[in-house]
Amino acid sequence: MESYDAIVVGAGPAGSTAALTLARNGLSVALLERGQFPGCKNVFGGTIYAQPVSEILPAFWETAPLERPVVTEELWFLHTDSAVRVGFGSLRFARQPYNKFTVLRSRFDRWLAGEASKAGAVLHLKAHARDFVFDKGLFTRGPVQGVKLDNGEILLSNVVIIAEGVLPFLTAKAGLLTKVPPAYAYTLYVKEVLSLPKEKINDRLQLENDEGAIIGIVGFPTSTAIGKAGLWTNRDTLSLVVGAYLNQMASHGLSPYLLLKRLKEHPFVKRIIEGAEPVEYQAHMIPKGGYTFLPKLYGDNVLVVGDAALMISGRRGTDLAMLSGKYAAETVIQAKAKGDFSAKMLANYALKINRAFFMEDIKARRGDLQYYQNRSDADYLISSTLNELASEFFTVDLLNEKEKRERLTGILRSKQFPLKTLGDLWAALRHWEAL
Amino acid sequence: MLEAKFPEDPLPLLEINVDDTSHIALRDPQNCLLCANKPCTYICPSQVFEWEEEALKINYSRCVECGACQKICPENIIWEYPRAGYGITYHY
Ligand SMILES: Cc1cc2nc3c(=O)[nH]c(=O)nc-3n(C[C@H](O)[C@H](O)[C@H](O)COP(=O)(O)OP(=O)(O)OC[C@H]3O[C@@H](n4cnc5c(N)ncnc54)[C@H](O)[C@@H]3O)c2cc1C
Ligand code: SF4
Ligand code: SF4
Repeated sequence: MESYDAIVVGAGPAGSTAALTLARNGLSVALLERGQFPGCKNVFGGTIYAQPVSEILPAFWETAPLERPVVTEELWFLHTDSAVRVGFGSLRFARQPYNKFTVLRSRFDRWLAGEASKAGAVLHLKAHARDFVFDKGLFTRGPVQGVKLDNGEILLSNVVIIAEGVLPFLTAKAGLLTKVPPAYAYTLYVKEVLSLPKEKINDRLQLENDEGAIIGIVGFPTSTAIGKAGLWTNRDTLSLVVGAYLNQMASHGLSPYLLLKRLKEHPFVKRIIEGAEPVEYQAHMIPKGGYTFLPKLYGDNVLVVGDAALMISGRRGTDLAMLSGKYAAETVIQAKAKGDFSAKMLANYALKINRAFFMEDIKARRGDLQYYQNRSDADYLISSTLNELASEFFTVDLLNEKEKRERLTGILRSKQFPLKTLGDLWAALRHWEAL
Repeated sequence: MLEAKFPEDPLPLLEINVDDTSHIALRDPQNCLLCANKPCTYICPSQVFEWEEEALKINYSRCVECGACQKICPENIIWEYPRAGYGITYHY
Protein backbone atom coordinates (compact mmCIF):
# COMPACT_ATOMS: atom_id res chain seq x y z
CA MET A 1 0.00 0.00 0.00
CA GLU A 2 1.30 3.44 -0.94
CA SER A 3 1.92 5.74 1.97
CA TYR A 4 2.65 9.46 2.08
CA ASP A 5 3.15 12.28 4.51
CA ALA A 6 0.12 13.93 2.97
CA ILE A 7 -2.66 13.15 0.51
CA VAL A 8 -4.31 16.08 -1.23
CA VAL A 9 -7.72 15.35 -2.73
CA GLY A 10 -8.50 17.48 -5.78
CA ALA A 11 -6.10 19.16 -8.22
CA GLY A 12 -7.84 22.54 -8.47
CA PRO A 13 -6.06 25.74 -7.45
CA ALA A 14 -6.39 24.92 -3.73
CA GLY A 15 -5.14 21.33 -3.92
CA SER A 16 -2.31 21.93 -6.37
CA THR A 17 -1.02 24.85 -4.30
CA ALA A 18 -1.09 22.74 -1.15
CA ALA A 19 0.73 19.88 -2.91
CA LEU A 20 3.28 22.26 -4.43
CA THR A 21 4.05 23.84 -1.07
CA LEU A 22 4.39 20.46 0.65
CA ALA A 23 6.59 18.98 -2.07
CA ARG A 24 8.86 22.03 -2.14
CA ASN A 25 9.45 21.51 1.55
CA GLY A 26 10.45 17.92 1.08
CA LEU A 27 7.32 16.15 2.26
CA SER A 28 6.03 13.16 0.33
CA VAL A 29 2.66 14.01 -1.13
CA ALA A 30 0.05 12.41 -3.39
CA LEU A 31 -2.20 14.75 -5.37
CA LEU A 32 -5.42 13.01 -6.44
CA GLU A 33 -7.63 14.16 -9.29
CA ARG A 34 -10.81 12.42 -10.38
CA GLY A 35 -10.68 13.75 -13.95
CA GLN A 36 -8.53 12.64 -16.88
CA PHE A 37 -6.32 15.67 -16.29
CA PRO A 38 -6.37 18.52 -13.76
CA GLY A 39 -8.82 21.23 -14.75
CA CYS A 40 -10.94 19.08 -17.04
CA LYS A 41 -13.88 19.27 -14.62
CA ASN A 42 -13.36 22.86 -13.53
CA VAL A 43 -15.19 26.00 -14.55
CA PHE A 44 -14.92 29.66 -13.69
CA GLY A 45 -15.41 33.06 -15.39
CA GLY A 46 -12.76 34.10 -15.19
CA THR A 47 -9.89 36.01 -13.89
CA ILE A 48 -6.97 35.18 -11.67
CA TYR A 49 -5.37 37.94 -9.67
CA ALA A 50 -1.68 38.72 -10.06
CA GLN A 51 -0.77 39.78 -6.53
CA PRO A 52 -2.07 36.82 -4.54
CA VAL A 53 -0.93 34.29 -7.15
CA SER A 54 2.61 35.69 -7.16
CA GLU A 55 2.73 35.11 -3.41
CA ILE A 56 2.88 31.44 -4.36
CA LEU A 57 4.46 31.55 -7.80
CA PRO A 58 6.57 34.68 -8.28
CA ALA A 59 6.55 35.94 -11.88
CA PHE A 60 4.11 33.16 -12.86
CA TRP A 61 3.17 35.18 -15.97
CA GLU A 62 6.43 34.11 -17.58
CA THR A 63 5.44 30.45 -17.72
CA ALA A 64 1.73 30.02 -16.91
CA PRO A 65 -0.77 29.52 -19.76
CA LEU A 66 -2.57 32.84 -19.46
CA GLU A 67 -5.02 34.33 -21.90
CA ARG A 68 -4.85 38.12 -21.57
CA PRO A 69 -3.86 40.68 -18.93
CA VAL A 70 -7.01 42.67 -18.12
CA VAL A 71 -6.73 46.40 -18.85
CA THR A 72 -10.36 47.47 -18.91
CA GLU A 73 -13.28 46.49 -16.80
CA GLU A 74 -16.86 47.60 -17.15
CA LEU A 75 -20.04 47.07 -15.23
CA TRP A 76 -23.27 47.25 -17.18
CA PHE A 77 -26.67 47.80 -15.65
CA LEU A 78 -28.47 46.27 -18.52
CA HIS A 79 -32.10 46.82 -19.40
CA THR A 80 -34.06 45.46 -22.37
CA ASP A 81 -32.80 48.06 -24.83
CA SER A 82 -30.50 50.32 -22.85
CA ALA A 83 -27.52 50.14 -20.51
CA VAL A 84 -25.88 52.28 -17.87
CA ARG A 85 -22.16 51.56 -18.00
CA VAL A 86 -19.41 52.31 -15.56
CA GLY A 87 -15.83 51.27 -16.02
CA PHE A 88 -12.17 51.74 -15.60
CA GLY A 89 -9.24 51.16 -17.90
CA SER A 90 -5.53 51.43 -17.27
CA LEU A 91 -2.81 50.52 -19.72
CA ARG A 92 -0.50 50.12 -16.77
CA PHE A 93 -2.27 46.81 -16.10
CA ALA A 94 -0.78 45.46 -19.32
CA ARG A 95 2.68 45.61 -17.79
CA GLN A 96 4.44 44.02 -14.86
CA PRO A 97 3.46 43.49 -12.09
CA TYR A 98 0.04 43.28 -13.82
CA ASN A 99 -3.32 43.19 -12.08
CA LYS A 100 -5.47 40.33 -13.39
CA PHE A 101 -5.36 37.78 -16.16
CA THR A 102 -8.11 35.92 -17.93
CA VAL A 103 -7.43 32.17 -18.05
CA LEU A 104 -9.09 28.93 -19.12
CA ARG A 105 -9.15 26.42 -16.32
CA SER A 106 -8.41 23.27 -18.28
CA ARG A 107 -5.10 24.87 -19.20
CA PHE A 108 -4.26 26.79 -16.03
CA ASP A 109 -5.13 24.02 -13.56
CA ARG A 110 -3.19 21.51 -15.60
CA TRP A 111 -0.15 23.76 -15.55
CA LEU A 112 -0.42 24.40 -11.79
CA ALA A 113 -0.69 20.68 -11.03
CA GLY A 114 2.32 20.20 -13.31
CA GLU A 115 4.29 22.64 -11.15
CA ALA A 116 3.36 20.59 -8.09
CA SER A 117 4.48 17.40 -9.76
CA LYS A 118 7.75 18.99 -10.92
CA ALA A 119 8.39 19.86 -7.28
CA GLY A 120 7.96 16.19 -6.40
CA ALA A 121 4.24 15.64 -5.72
CA VAL A 122 2.92 12.35 -7.11
CA LEU A 123 -0.04 13.17 -9.34
CA HIS A 124 -2.70 10.43 -9.56
CA LEU A 125 -5.15 10.98 -12.41
CA LYS A 126 -8.56 9.31 -12.69
CA ALA A 127 -8.25 8.83 -8.95
CA HIS A 128 -11.52 9.52 -7.19
CA ALA A 129 -11.36 9.47 -3.40
CA ARG A 130 -14.77 8.18 -2.28
CA ASP A 131 -14.13 7.76 1.40
CA PHE A 132 -11.57 7.83 4.16
CA VAL A 133 -9.80 5.00 5.85
CA PHE A 134 -10.20 5.52 9.57
CA ASP A 135 -8.11 4.19 12.39
CA LYS A 136 -9.99 1.73 14.56
CA GLY A 137 -11.08 3.62 17.65
CA LEU A 138 -12.03 1.89 20.86
CA PHE A 139 -15.67 2.98 20.92
CA THR A 140 -16.00 5.47 18.11
CA ARG A 141 -14.27 5.79 14.80
CA GLY A 142 -10.63 6.82 15.08
CA PRO A 143 -8.87 9.55 13.11
CA VAL A 144 -8.36 9.61 9.34
CA GLN A 145 -5.54 7.39 8.09
CA GLY A 146 -5.87 7.77 4.36
CA VAL A 147 -8.36 7.55 1.54
CA LYS A 148 -10.15 4.89 -0.44
CA LEU A 149 -10.46 5.33 -4.20
CA ASP A 150 -13.51 4.19 -6.11
CA ASN A 151 -11.56 1.33 -7.69
CA GLY A 152 -10.99 0.03 -4.17
CA GLU A 153 -7.37 1.13 -3.92
CA ILE A 154 -6.26 2.49 -0.56
CA LEU A 155 -3.67 5.21 -0.02
CA LEU A 156 -2.34 5.97 3.45
CA SER A 157 -1.01 9.20 4.92
CA ASN A 158 -0.45 11.15 8.11
CA VAL A 159 -2.77 13.85 6.94
CA VAL A 160 -5.41 14.40 4.25
CA ILE A 161 -6.03 17.84 2.78
CA ILE A 162 -9.53 18.03 1.31
CA ALA A 163 -9.55 20.29 -1.76
CA GLU A 164 -12.64 18.82 -3.39
CA GLY A 165 -14.30 22.06 -4.50
CA VAL A 166 -17.92 23.13 -4.23
CA LEU A 167 -19.60 19.79 -3.41
CA PRO A 168 -18.51 18.78 0.09
CA PHE A 169 -18.84 14.98 -0.07
CA LEU A 170 -15.59 14.21 1.75
CA THR A 171 -15.84 17.20 4.07
CA ALA A 172 -19.12 15.68 5.27
CA LYS A 173 -17.59 12.22 5.59
CA ALA A 174 -14.77 13.64 7.71
CA GLY A 175 -17.43 15.03 10.05
CA LEU A 176 -16.38 18.62 9.39
CA LEU A 177 -19.62 19.91 7.90
CA THR A 178 -21.39 21.80 10.65
CA LYS A 179 -24.59 22.48 8.66
CA VAL A 180 -25.53 21.15 5.24
CA PRO A 181 -25.77 24.27 3.06
CA PRO A 182 -29.25 24.53 1.43
CA ALA A 183 -29.99 25.66 -2.15
CA TYR A 184 -29.97 29.34 -1.19
CA ALA A 185 -26.31 29.05 -0.23
CA TYR A 186 -25.31 28.32 -3.85
CA THR A 187 -25.30 30.15 -7.13
CA LEU A 188 -25.43 28.18 -10.37
CA TYR A 189 -23.69 29.44 -13.50
CA VAL A 190 -23.59 28.33 -17.10
CA LYS A 191 -20.92 29.36 -19.54
CA GLU A 192 -20.30 29.29 -23.23
CA VAL A 193 -16.87 29.60 -24.75
CA LEU A 194 -17.19 31.30 -28.14
CA SER A 195 -14.44 31.37 -30.69
CA LEU A 196 -13.81 34.67 -32.46
CA PRO A 197 -10.70 35.85 -34.30
CA LYS A 198 -8.37 37.94 -32.19
CA GLU A 199 -8.66 41.00 -34.45
CA LYS A 200 -12.44 41.01 -34.07
CA ILE A 201 -12.20 40.71 -30.29
CA ASN A 202 -9.74 43.61 -30.22
CA ASP A 203 -11.84 45.79 -32.51
CA ARG A 204 -15.10 45.21 -30.71
CA LEU A 205 -13.67 45.83 -27.26
CA GLN A 206 -11.16 48.52 -28.19
CA LEU A 207 -8.13 46.45 -27.27
CA GLU A 208 -4.68 46.16 -28.76
CA ASN A 209 -2.47 43.08 -29.04
CA ASP A 210 -2.96 40.86 -26.00
CA GLU A 211 -4.85 43.34 -23.84
CA GLY A 212 -7.94 41.94 -22.19
CA ALA A 213 -11.33 43.23 -21.07
CA ILE A 214 -14.04 42.09 -18.69
CA ILE A 215 -17.66 43.16 -18.64
CA GLY A 216 -19.85 42.41 -15.64
CA ILE A 217 -23.57 42.64 -16.35
CA VAL A 218 -26.48 42.90 -13.92
CA GLY A 219 -30.22 43.31 -14.39
CA PHE A 220 -31.44 41.91 -17.68
CA PRO A 221 -29.31 38.73 -17.79
CA THR A 222 -30.87 37.07 -14.77
CA SER A 223 -34.41 38.24 -15.35
CA THR A 224 -36.03 38.18 -11.91
CA ALA A 225 -33.32 36.59 -9.79
CA ILE A 226 -30.23 37.95 -8.08
CA GLY A 227 -27.26 37.05 -10.18
CA LYS A 228 -24.83 38.21 -12.79
CA ALA A 229 -23.51 37.77 -16.23
CA GLY A 230 -19.97 38.31 -17.35
CA LEU A 231 -17.96 38.44 -20.51
CA TRP A 232 -14.24 37.72 -20.52
CA THR A 233 -11.86 38.07 -23.43
CA ASN A 234 -9.43 35.22 -23.97
CA ARG A 235 -6.80 35.07 -26.74
CA ASP A 236 -9.15 34.00 -29.50
CA THR A 237 -12.27 33.09 -27.57
CA LEU A 238 -14.81 34.85 -25.41
CA SER A 239 -16.23 33.41 -22.19
CA LEU A 240 -19.86 34.33 -21.62
CA VAL A 241 -21.25 33.41 -18.24
CA VAL A 242 -24.63 33.83 -16.57
CA GLY A 243 -26.13 32.57 -13.36
CA ALA A 244 -27.98 33.35 -10.17
CA TYR A 245 -28.99 32.06 -6.77
CA LEU A 246 -30.09 28.50 -7.20
CA ASN A 247 -33.22 28.69 -5.05
CA GLN A 248 -34.37 31.88 -6.78
CA MET A 249 -33.99 30.38 -10.25
CA ALA A 250 -35.93 27.35 -9.06
CA SER A 251 -38.78 29.29 -7.50
CA HIS A 252 -38.98 31.80 -10.36
CA GLY A 253 -39.04 29.04 -12.96
CA LEU A 254 -35.79 30.07 -14.66
CA SER A 255 -33.64 27.75 -16.74
CA PRO A 256 -29.98 28.77 -16.72
CA TYR A 257 -29.49 27.56 -20.26
CA LEU A 258 -32.39 29.63 -21.53
CA LEU A 259 -31.07 32.68 -19.64
CA LEU A 260 -27.82 32.29 -21.56
CA LYS A 261 -29.66 32.02 -24.88
CA ARG A 262 -31.68 35.10 -24.01
CA LEU A 263 -28.57 37.04 -23.06
CA LYS A 264 -26.91 36.18 -26.36
CA GLU A 265 -29.88 37.76 -28.12
CA HIS A 266 -29.59 41.07 -26.27
CA PRO A 267 -28.64 43.72 -28.86
CA PHE A 268 -25.64 45.00 -26.86
CA VAL A 269 -24.28 41.54 -26.24
CA LYS A 270 -25.02 40.41 -29.76
CA ARG A 271 -22.84 43.18 -31.15
CA ILE A 272 -19.85 41.75 -29.32
CA ILE A 273 -20.42 38.05 -30.03
CA GLU A 274 -21.78 38.35 -33.57
CA GLY A 275 -20.37 35.58 -35.73
CA ALA A 276 -18.63 33.85 -32.82
CA GLU A 277 -18.92 30.04 -32.80
CA PRO A 278 -19.72 28.19 -29.55
CA VAL A 279 -16.94 25.70 -28.86
CA GLU A 280 -17.90 24.55 -25.38
CA TYR A 281 -20.74 24.72 -22.88
CA GLN A 282 -20.12 24.38 -19.14
CA ALA A 283 -21.91 24.60 -15.79
CA HIS A 284 -20.72 24.95 -12.22
CA MET A 285 -21.88 26.18 -8.83
CA ILE A 286 -20.29 28.67 -6.41
CA PRO A 287 -20.61 28.03 -2.67
CA LYS A 288 -22.05 31.25 -1.26
CA GLY A 289 -22.71 30.01 2.26
CA GLY A 290 -20.01 32.30 3.65
CA TYR A 291 -19.36 32.63 7.32
CA THR A 292 -22.77 31.23 8.28
CA PHE A 293 -22.04 27.83 6.73
CA LEU A 294 -18.29 27.68 7.25
CA PRO A 295 -17.33 24.07 7.95
CA LYS A 296 -14.87 23.09 10.65
CA LEU A 297 -11.56 23.76 8.93
CA TYR A 298 -9.61 20.91 10.52
CA GLY A 299 -9.82 17.78 12.62
CA ASP A 300 -7.41 15.04 13.62
CA ASN A 301 -5.22 14.36 10.55
CA VAL A 302 -7.46 16.34 8.20
CA LEU A 303 -7.81 19.88 6.79
CA VAL A 304 -10.23 21.54 4.35
CA VAL A 305 -9.20 24.20 1.79
CA GLY A 306 -10.61 26.27 -1.08
CA ASP A 307 -14.25 26.10 -2.16
CA ALA A 308 -14.80 23.11 0.12
CA ALA A 309 -13.96 25.46 3.00
CA LEU A 310 -16.18 28.21 1.48
CA MET A 311 -13.18 30.44 0.84
CA ILE A 312 -15.10 32.74 -1.49
CA SER A 313 -15.33 36.49 -1.21
CA GLY A 314 -17.20 38.43 -3.86
CA ARG A 315 -15.65 37.64 -7.20
CA ARG A 316 -12.55 36.14 -5.67
CA GLY A 317 -12.22 32.40 -5.33
CA THR A 318 -9.15 30.98 -7.04
CA ASP A 319 -6.77 33.20 -5.11
CA LEU A 320 -8.40 32.46 -1.77
CA ALA A 321 -8.31 28.79 -2.70
CA MET A 322 -4.59 29.01 -3.40
CA LEU A 323 -3.81 30.97 -0.25
CA SER A 324 -5.82 28.59 1.93
CA GLY A 325 -3.99 25.67 0.28
CA LYS A 326 -0.71 27.33 1.12
CA TYR A 327 -1.67 27.93 4.76
CA ALA A 328 -2.85 24.35 5.15
CA ALA A 329 0.42 23.05 3.70
CA GLU A 330 2.51 25.25 5.99
CA THR A 331 0.59 23.93 8.95
CA VAL A 332 1.24 20.34 7.83
CA ILE A 333 4.96 21.03 7.40
CA GLN A 334 5.13 22.26 10.97
CA ALA A 335 3.09 19.27 12.13
CA LYS A 336 5.50 16.94 10.37
CA ALA A 337 8.43 18.67 12.07
CA LYS A 338 6.75 18.09 15.42
CA GLY A 339 5.55 14.63 14.54
CA ASP A 340 2.03 15.54 15.64
CA PHE A 341 -0.95 15.63 13.26
CA SER A 342 -3.68 15.95 15.88
CA ALA A 343 -6.44 18.52 15.64
CA LYS A 344 -4.70 20.53 18.32
CA MET A 345 -1.63 20.92 16.16
CA LEU A 346 -3.60 21.53 12.95
CA ALA A 347 -5.58 24.30 14.66
CA ASN A 348 -2.77 26.58 13.47
CA TYR A 349 -4.39 26.47 10.06
CA ALA A 350 -7.59 28.03 11.37
CA LEU A 351 -5.52 30.70 13.11
CA LYS A 352 -3.80 31.56 9.84
CA ILE A 353 -7.11 31.71 8.00
CA ASN A 354 -8.66 33.91 10.65
CA ARG A 355 -5.76 36.32 10.42
CA ALA A 356 -5.88 36.47 6.61
CA PHE A 357 -7.07 39.68 4.97
CA PHE A 358 -9.89 37.93 3.14
CA MET A 359 -11.46 36.55 6.31
CA GLU A 360 -12.42 40.10 7.33
CA ASP A 361 -14.35 40.39 4.07
CA ILE A 362 -15.95 36.97 4.44
CA LYS A 363 -17.10 37.91 7.94
CA ALA A 364 -18.30 41.34 6.81
CA ARG A 365 -20.42 39.73 4.10
CA ARG A 366 -22.24 37.61 6.64
CA GLY A 367 -25.49 39.54 6.07
CA ASP A 368 -25.43 39.14 2.29
CA LEU A 369 -27.21 35.79 2.05
CA GLN A 370 -30.16 37.08 4.02
CA TYR A 371 -30.21 40.33 2.07
CA TYR A 372 -30.40 38.49 -1.24
CA GLN A 373 -33.23 36.30 -0.03
CA ASN A 374 -35.25 39.24 1.29
CA ARG A 375 -34.61 41.44 -1.74
CA SER A 376 -34.68 39.14 -4.71
CA ASP A 377 -36.04 42.13 -6.65
CA ALA A 378 -33.03 44.36 -5.89
CA ASP A 379 -31.12 43.65 -9.11
CA TYR A 380 -34.13 44.25 -11.30
CA LEU A 381 -35.11 47.39 -9.44
CA ILE A 382 -31.73 49.08 -9.46
CA SER A 383 -30.98 48.22 -13.05
CA SER A 384 -34.33 49.33 -14.42
CA THR A 385 -34.33 52.51 -12.33
CA LEU A 386 -30.81 53.49 -13.32
CA ASN A 387 -31.76 53.03 -16.95
CA GLU A 388 -34.86 55.17 -16.57
CA LEU A 389 -32.91 57.87 -14.78
CA ALA A 390 -30.13 57.86 -17.34
CA SER A 391 -32.55 57.85 -20.21
CA GLU A 392 -34.32 60.87 -18.77
CA PHE A 393 -31.01 62.57 -18.04
CA PHE A 394 -29.54 62.08 -21.48
CA THR A 395 -32.66 62.82 -23.46
CA VAL A 396 -32.55 66.30 -24.90
CA ASP A 397 -35.98 67.80 -24.35
CA LEU A 398 -37.67 71.13 -23.71
CA LEU A 399 -37.65 71.15 -19.90
CA ASN A 400 -35.76 73.65 -17.78
CA GLU A 401 -33.23 72.33 -15.27
CA LYS A 402 -35.60 72.54 -12.32
CA GLU A 403 -38.31 70.61 -14.13
CA LYS A 404 -35.76 68.06 -15.22
CA ARG A 405 -34.54 67.57 -11.66
CA GLU A 406 -38.12 67.12 -10.49
CA ARG A 407 -38.75 64.57 -13.17
CA LEU A 408 -35.68 62.60 -12.03
CA THR A 409 -36.69 62.64 -8.36
CA GLY A 410 -40.17 61.68 -9.50
CA ILE A 411 -38.81 58.52 -11.12
CA LEU A 412 -36.96 57.62 -7.95
CA ARG A 413 -40.01 58.26 -5.78
CA SER A 414 -42.32 56.20 -7.92
CA LYS A 415 -40.24 53.09 -7.23
CA GLN A 416 -40.51 51.30 -3.97
CA PHE A 417 -36.82 51.65 -3.59
CA PRO A 418 -35.04 49.80 -0.84
CA LEU A 419 -32.08 52.10 -1.22
CA LYS A 420 -32.66 55.42 0.45
CA THR A 421 -29.31 57.08 0.31
CA LEU A 422 -26.09 57.05 -1.56
CA GLY A 423 -24.67 54.99 1.29
CA ASP A 424 -27.25 52.34 0.51
CA LEU A 425 -26.28 52.39 -3.13
CA TRP A 426 -22.71 51.68 -2.08
CA ALA A 427 -23.98 48.78 0.00
CA ALA A 428 -25.96 47.50 -2.97
CA LEU A 429 -22.95 47.65 -5.27
CA ARG A 430 -20.98 45.73 -2.73
CA HIS A 431 -23.75 43.18 -2.41
CA TRP A 432 -23.55 42.64 -6.14
CA GLU A 433 -19.88 42.20 -5.79
CA ALA A 434 -19.42 44.84 -8.40
CA LEU A 435 -16.62 46.23 -6.27
CA MET B 1 -27.55 10.20 -25.97
CA LEU B 2 -31.21 11.23 -25.89
CA GLU B 3 -32.13 14.38 -27.77
CA ALA B 4 -32.93 17.28 -25.50
CA LYS B 5 -35.70 19.78 -26.03
CA PHE B 6 -33.13 22.55 -25.70
CA PRO B 7 -33.04 24.80 -28.72
CA GLU B 8 -29.61 24.42 -30.38
CA ASP B 9 -28.58 21.77 -27.90
CA PRO B 10 -24.94 22.49 -26.92
CA LEU B 11 -24.25 18.96 -25.68
CA PRO B 12 -22.77 17.68 -28.95
CA LEU B 13 -19.90 20.13 -28.31
CA LEU B 14 -18.89 18.24 -25.20
CA GLU B 15 -16.66 15.28 -24.50
CA ILE B 16 -18.50 13.01 -22.10
CA ASN B 17 -17.29 9.51 -21.33
CA VAL B 18 -20.50 7.74 -20.36
CA ASP B 19 -20.43 4.95 -17.77
CA ASP B 20 -22.75 1.92 -18.22
CA THR B 21 -24.56 2.64 -14.99
CA SER B 22 -26.23 5.84 -13.89
CA HIS B 23 -24.78 8.01 -11.11
CA ILE B 24 -28.21 9.58 -10.56
CA ALA B 25 -31.15 7.91 -8.81
CA LEU B 26 -34.50 8.77 -7.26
CA ARG B 27 -35.45 7.80 -3.74
CA ASP B 28 -39.04 7.26 -4.83
CA PRO B 29 -40.29 8.00 -8.36
CA GLN B 30 -43.82 8.28 -6.93
CA ASN B 31 -42.84 11.54 -5.20
CA CYS B 32 -42.43 13.21 -8.57
CA LEU B 33 -46.15 12.79 -9.28
CA LEU B 34 -46.88 15.11 -6.35
CA CYS B 35 -44.13 17.59 -7.17
CA ALA B 36 -45.87 20.70 -8.53
CA ASN B 37 -43.22 22.57 -10.53
CA LYS B 38 -40.67 19.81 -11.12
CA PRO B 39 -37.73 22.21 -10.82
CA CYS B 40 -35.20 19.54 -11.79
CA THR B 41 -36.58 19.68 -15.34
CA TYR B 42 -35.54 23.32 -15.83
CA ILE B 43 -32.78 23.92 -13.26
CA CYS B 44 -30.48 21.29 -14.70
CA PRO B 45 -28.24 23.22 -17.12
CA SER B 46 -27.96 20.16 -19.27
CA GLN B 47 -31.58 18.98 -19.33
CA VAL B 48 -30.88 15.63 -17.80
CA PHE B 49 -34.39 15.38 -16.32
CA GLU B 50 -37.44 15.26 -18.53
CA TRP B 51 -41.05 14.67 -17.63
CA GLU B 52 -42.49 12.29 -20.15
CA GLU B 53 -45.62 10.14 -20.04
CA GLU B 54 -46.20 10.75 -16.32
CA ALA B 55 -42.70 9.74 -15.32
CA LEU B 56 -39.34 11.38 -14.82
CA LYS B 57 -36.73 10.32 -17.38
CA ILE B 58 -33.12 10.73 -16.33
CA ASN B 59 -30.68 11.10 -19.24
CA TYR B 60 -27.64 10.70 -17.02
CA SER B 61 -25.36 10.59 -20.05
CA ARG B 62 -25.91 14.34 -20.48
CA CYS B 63 -24.78 15.26 -16.95
CA VAL B 64 -22.02 17.89 -16.67
CA GLU B 65 -21.61 17.37 -12.90
CA CYS B 66 -22.62 20.75 -11.54
CA GLY B 67 -24.43 19.21 -8.58
CA ALA B 68 -27.41 21.58 -8.72
CA CYS B 69 -30.13 18.92 -8.95
CA GLN B 70 -29.38 17.33 -5.59
CA LYS B 71 -29.39 20.78 -3.97
CA ILE B 72 -32.74 21.69 -5.49
CA CYS B 73 -34.34 18.35 -4.64
CA PRO B 74 -32.43 16.76 -1.77
CA GLU B 75 -35.61 14.89 -0.80
CA ASN B 76 -35.71 12.79 -3.91
CA ILE B 77 -32.54 13.03 -5.99
CA ILE B 78 -29.56 10.91 -5.08
CA TRP B 79 -26.61 12.19 -7.05
CA GLU B 80 -22.94 11.41 -6.83
CA TYR B 81 -19.97 12.04 -9.07
CA PRO B 82 -19.54 9.54 -11.89
CA ARG B 83 -16.74 7.04 -11.37
CA ALA B 84 -13.16 8.19 -11.90
CA GLY B 85 -12.34 8.64 -15.56
CA TYR B 86 -16.02 8.95 -16.58
CA GLY B 87 -18.18 11.97 -17.16
CA ILE B 88 -17.36 15.39 -18.50
CA THR B 89 -13.98 16.52 -19.84
CA TYR B 90 -13.74 20.21 -20.62
CA HIS B 91 -11.05 21.50 -22.93
CA TYR B 92 -11.51 25.24 -22.36
C1 LIG C 1 -19.05 30.67 -12.96
C2 LIG C 1 -17.93 30.89 -12.01
C3 LIG C 1 -17.14 32.02 -12.16
C4 LIG C 1 -16.07 32.24 -11.30
N1 LIG C 1 -15.27 33.31 -11.53
C5 LIG C 1 -14.15 33.46 -10.80
C6 LIG C 1 -13.21 34.47 -11.13
O1 LIG C 1 -13.36 35.20 -12.12
N2 LIG C 1 -12.11 34.60 -10.35
C7 LIG C 1 -11.88 33.79 -9.28
O2 LIG C 1 -10.85 33.94 -8.62
N3 LIG C 1 -12.75 32.81 -8.95
C8 LIG C 1 -13.87 32.62 -9.69
N4 LIG C 1 -14.74 31.60 -9.38
C9 LIG C 1 -14.48 30.77 -8.18
C10 LIG C 1 -13.36 29.76 -8.41
O3 LIG C 1 -13.56 29.05 -9.59
C11 LIG C 1 -13.28 28.78 -7.25
O4 LIG C 1 -13.30 29.46 -6.04
C12 LIG C 1 -12.00 27.93 -7.31
O5 LIG C 1 -11.99 27.15 -8.47
C13 LIG C 1 -11.90 27.02 -6.10
O6 LIG C 1 -10.77 26.21 -6.21
P1 LIG C 1 -10.71 24.78 -5.49
O7 LIG C 1 -9.36 24.24 -5.79
O8 LIG C 1 -11.12 24.93 -4.09
O9 LIG C 1 -11.85 23.92 -6.18
P2 LIG C 1 -11.99 23.41 -7.69
O10 LIG C 1 -11.37 24.36 -8.62
O11 LIG C 1 -13.41 23.06 -7.88
O12 LIG C 1 -11.13 22.07 -7.71
C14 LIG C 1 -11.55 20.89 -7.07
C15 LIG C 1 -10.85 19.73 -7.74
O13 LIG C 1 -11.05 18.53 -6.99
C16 LIG C 1 -11.40 17.47 -7.86
N5 LIG C 1 -12.14 16.51 -7.01
C17 LIG C 1 -13.31 16.75 -6.36
N6 LIG C 1 -13.65 15.69 -5.60
C18 LIG C 1 -12.67 14.79 -5.76
C19 LIG C 1 -12.46 13.48 -5.22
N7 LIG C 1 -13.32 12.96 -4.35
N8 LIG C 1 -11.35 12.80 -5.59
C20 LIG C 1 -10.46 13.35 -6.47
N9 LIG C 1 -10.61 14.57 -7.01
C21 LIG C 1 -11.70 15.29 -6.65
C22 LIG C 1 -12.17 18.14 -8.95
O14 LIG C 1 -12.21 17.37 -10.12
C23 LIG C 1 -11.39 19.45 -9.13
O15 LIG C 1 -10.30 19.31 -10.01
C24 LIG C 1 -15.81 31.34 -10.23
C25 LIG C 1 -16.61 30.21 -10.08
C26 LIG C 1 -17.65 29.96 -10.97
C27 LIG C 1 -18.46 28.72 -10.82
S1 SF4 D 1 -36.86 14.67 -8.88
FE1 SF4 D 1 -37.50 16.10 -7.31
S2 SF4 D 1 -37.75 18.04 -8.35
FE2 SF4 D 1 -37.71 16.47 -9.92
S3 SF4 D 1 -39.85 15.98 -10.26
FE3 SF4 D 1 -39.10 14.51 -8.78
S4 SF4 D 1 -39.56 15.40 -6.79
FE4 SF4 D 1 -39.77 17.05 -8.32
S1 SF4 E 1 -25.38 17.50 -11.68
FE1 SF4 E 1 -26.00 19.31 -12.87
S2 SF4 E 1 -25.86 18.61 -14.97
FE2 SF4 E 1 -25.87 16.76 -13.73
S3 SF4 E 1 -28.00 16.17 -13.58
FE3 SF4 E 1 -27.61 17.43 -11.81
S4 SF4 E 1 -28.19 19.49 -12.42
FE4 SF4 E 1 -27.98 18.28 -14.30
